[in-house]
Amino acid sequence: MGFTPEVYKLFEDIVGPENVSDDPAVLDSYAFEVLADLVRPEQSHYMPRPVAVALPGTTEEVQALVRVCNVHRIKVKPLSTGWYHFAAPQSDEHDTLQLDMRRMDRILEIDETNMVAVIEPYVIAAQLQAEVMKLGLNINVTGAGASCSILASACAYAGQGPMAYWMGGNAENLLALEWVTPTGDVVRTGSLGSGAGWFAAEGPGPSVRGVCRGTFGSRGGMGVYTKCAIKLCHRPGTTEWNVHGTTPAYRLPVDDLFRVYTLAVPSWDAWADLYYKIYDNEIGYIFHRQFNLAGANLAPAFWLMYNDHTKTLGDVEWMAQDPAVKELTEEMRISFQFIMAGRSTGDIELQDRVLDALLQQVGGWKVERFCEDDMAEFTNMYLQRLGHKHINYVWAGGYVGTWMQIGTPDWVKNYIPIASAGLERDAADGLLVQCGGDAMMGSGSGFPGGGVTGLEQFVSYDANDLESTRAAVRHMEDAVKDAASHGLPPGKEGLYLELSKTDEQVHAELAAANQPAIFRFQRKIKDAIDPNDIGDRLYATLPPEG
Amino acid sequence: MALIDYRPDAMRCTRCSYCKWVPLDLVKSWRYAKGCPSVEHGRFHSYSGGGRLITYLSLLDGRSEVTDRVVDIAFKCQLCGNCDVTCKVCRYDMEPLAAQHEFRFWLVEQGRVPTRYESIIDGYRRRGTMVGDPNTLVGDPQSDGLRWARDLRVKDLNTDRGEVLLHPGCRFSYDGGLGPVARTSLEILQEAGLDVGVLGAGRCCGGRVYHMGYRDDFTTAAEATLAAWEAAGVKTVVTLCADCYHTFKRLYAERGSSVEVVHMVEMVARLLAEGRLEFTEEVPLTVTYHDPCHLGRQGEPYVPWDGVEKKIFGQAVVYDPPRPRYNGAQGIYDAPRDVLRAIPGLELVEMERSREAAWCCGAGGGVREAFPEFNAWTAAERVEEARSTGADAVVSACPWCERNFLDALRGPRGGDGTGVAAPFQDSGVAAAPAGRGVAAPGVTAAADAPFQVFDVLDLVRQALPRKGA
Ligand code: SF4
Ligand code: SF4
Repeated sequence: MGFTPEVYKLFEDIVGPENVSDDPAVLDSYAFEVLADLVRPEQSHYMPRPVAVALPGTTEEVQALVRVCNVHRIKVKPLSTGWYHFAAPQSDEHDTLQLDMRRMDRILEIDETNMVAVIEPYVIAAQLQAEVMKLGLNINVTGAGASCSILASACAYAGQGPMAYWMGGNAENLLALEWVTPTGDVVRTGSLGSGAGWFAAEGPGPSVRGVCRGTFGSRGGMGVYTKCAIKLCHRPGTTEWNVHGTTPAYRLPVDDLFRVYTLAVPSWDAWADLYYKIYDNEIGYIFHRQFNLAGANLAPAFWLMYNDHTKTLGDVEWMAQDPAVKELTEEMRISFQFIMAGRSTGDIELQDRVLDALLQQVGGWKVERFCEDDMAEFTNMYLQRLGHKHINYVWAGGYVGTWMQIGTPDWVKNYIPIASAGLERDAADGLLVQCGGDAMMGSGSGFPGGGVTGLEQFVSYDANDLESTRAAVRHMEDAVKDAASHGLPPGKEGLYLELSKTDEQVHAELAAANQPAIFRFQRKIKDAIDPNDIGDRLYATLPPEG
Repeated sequence: MALIDYRPDAMRCTRCSYCKWVPLDLVKSWRYAKGCPSVEHGRFHSYSGGGRLITYLSLLDGRSEVTDRVVDIAFKCQLCGNCDVTCKVCRYDMEPLAAQHEFRFWLVEQGRVPTRYESIIDGYRRRGTMVGDPNTLVGDPQSDGLRWARDLRVKDLNTDRGEVLLHPGCRFSYDGGLGPVARTSLEILQEAGLDVGVLGAGRCCGGRVYHMGYRDDFTTAAEATLAAWEAAGVKTVVTLCADCYHTFKRLYAERGSSVEVVHMVEMVARLLAEGRLEFTEEVPLTVTYHDPCHLGRQGEPYVPWDGVEKKIFGQAVVYDPPRPRYNGAQGIYDAPRDVLRAIPGLELVEMERSREAAWCCGAGGGVREAFPEFNAWTAAERVEEARSTGADAVVSACPWCERNFLDALRGPRGGDGTGVAAPFQDSGVAAAPAGRGVAAPGVTAAADAPFQVFDVLDLVRQALPRKGA
């Protein structure tokens, strides 16, 4: 059992020899993944190497490949755009076939009336957004940004982001789905399952969104999603995409029905109050604490540098010392970005008046420099498209998000000082980027209409420096301890660190989780749907019983 | 630099895959979002800019060996630079394009090159030009490369001295199917009163062998050319070819040349702005402009740098002194457009992928020479995009792009002219397909004329006052 030249020939017969490879260098381009260095032995940048990579072009080809893998007990790991270590094979002990879904890259349908798009895995957010915007519609581009697969965000990952406040997270926006299960069966969910089209996730056909996604998303561990329908939403204003400007700081003119602001408050209490008031008053379109990813001490200098194409990263050092920039740094120390869209001139003007009143109530203000035309257009571009997410890695190619426990603003504000102090402490020896203890970034709301939020600490390290990389690992471990000492569960770092653990450790942690019943139930699902265990452990379960 | 010097770039690559697309902010449709011909054709991640970094990292780490597939990965890429632009939208510490060049140098040193390379480089060494390889190219290697200047009085800088050199490049010298662009340029420069001369046939800038990975052959060509310029007292070189432009502007400058380098479209824009040239004739065409990679995003001026990496704020990677940032921000985009907009009756429409986000014509990086099918596929993709604008013609400022588009329109073995991708086989015959902008001034395409290909100078020629009028 396992991978052999004969099995390779079977793969070739299914997808054609040009669409399969077992060349070690080609395979390493799939094993190499960002964040691998934080979880692999000796800080290797490589996840386990697949035995082969295949590029299926149709659902039938996916099915056929999966069936061969069932016969030969080869694990199957699909990726769409493939960013992060989750997308790579997870097991050193088992052979894994990597499926690169890039040949399945079509938008199959845009149903303007019912506000539904049907897509294949390799349609990235930028493509779908560009097409639906022509119709006055929009999608939720997730926090991972415009380069990522919308299908993956909806079917296999958390799927939230700055636009979830208005549009909902993509786990919610997922409608009907075509799913090749780990045994190679095709399940068509929701309305598709009863031949009624793509419009609904939960019937009249089978409703298995919770089953195939799992809690956080199956992250490629539970079969292959080959097509899905995604809910669209309204985008007021122009249907044009009039981007302009000089690379890298492209700009999008602010439509008359839009307002683009950077808002600041004097304290974290005021921050939480303002978030609640924004939720309660139902204003806003895109709601995100974005620019602070560069750190509260450096963010203004960094973004002003970025917006001047004649400057480069080293200029941030002296710019941060400029008295005017220092003043700006204090002015926007606790700030976030907020875009409002009105359905009419009256609507946007009302939202403006409401926002002014709310700011007055909490003692907040608009950060003037970042609301001037150049920065407003840049902010508008950045947050509407989310095409700069790779800037997370700008300092030195290494970034890991820690914290990000999601809850009410009041709850989140309580961990911000802990997270800030933790980064300050762990960066003190200079092995992590020192940009101010607060490099916390995150969506104004994880759900439409508001209610809960979360902030992620941006921890930057040099991915080409072993000591720096090890410092990032130590920081992740420290963050888990810091959280635990305050009675909090692990944040994102816990999810990442899971990949460095043995099966036994992972199972023990899931058994000790607050709601282990979920993982017991997911075990039953896995036993039923993946009897040959060709998925990987990213579909989280307790161990097999007995 | 050596390949090992680019190990940090690979280690800091995040596999984000931005390099497979045009800058994401510029995506305006599903159809024209993709930016990397290599990965769209080769499909596996290794064929992207980031994928190549990982490929050589794997080799350097001893995890894999140089196989035929690895050679294919390294060389089946136009070195068009889209990956460089898109990576640098978010990064200041990455040089994916320079790293890919270095990967090729490294493989050439080991003698690991694509099968066709040996005969191509052999032909180059014999003829001193890339044009005329019977395998891959139209053009007549036996012809006199100065035929285009016949009947014109022009200084020969092999024997004379002059401050301004007109360098048409191999393709305009030898490819008769590309029309009188060189001749028109010479006439314009002479009428502007410039002390212009030419250096005769057979002087290849060496850029194309550099891109194929033959650094030593390039150095030989560069040294010979620079010596000839020096002997002739050349202070300014005006070129018609984007490849030559980049080679002179960046690669020669890197080797110490201080000769001013100007593309002919910049010269025409300059003469128009100074009122030394005027357009009087209507050219009633709708055209779209194709930015050649080496004039557009790679056409930025050379900035000397001899520095080191250092860290600020603990771990942020910067360079001391600041490293020049080649990211396409300062390429030559406006001059050709200004010239086209100044032509009476002409309407300029844009393709979705333009300026720093332009899709490559397909010809660069040795691809036209070594991978004809990939070359033709890439060109056909661009022709299709150009046609989608509703334009009558695609205009460029580089003979390699124009030759590639003409071949794509002609289709395989004479094809149907639709420009749809199909296996390509060059006939090896010089051709001037119908619709090439070689008609007399004032003569323009009929309404039902096939899609056409022009050089900017073709249209300039049509717009100039008629002689004797
Ligand atoms: S080369 Fe740059 S853009 Fe491409 S994957 Fe690597 S980091 Fe991303
Ligand atoms: S240079 Fe062009 S063809 Fe080559 S990898 Fe970069 S984008 Fe692709």
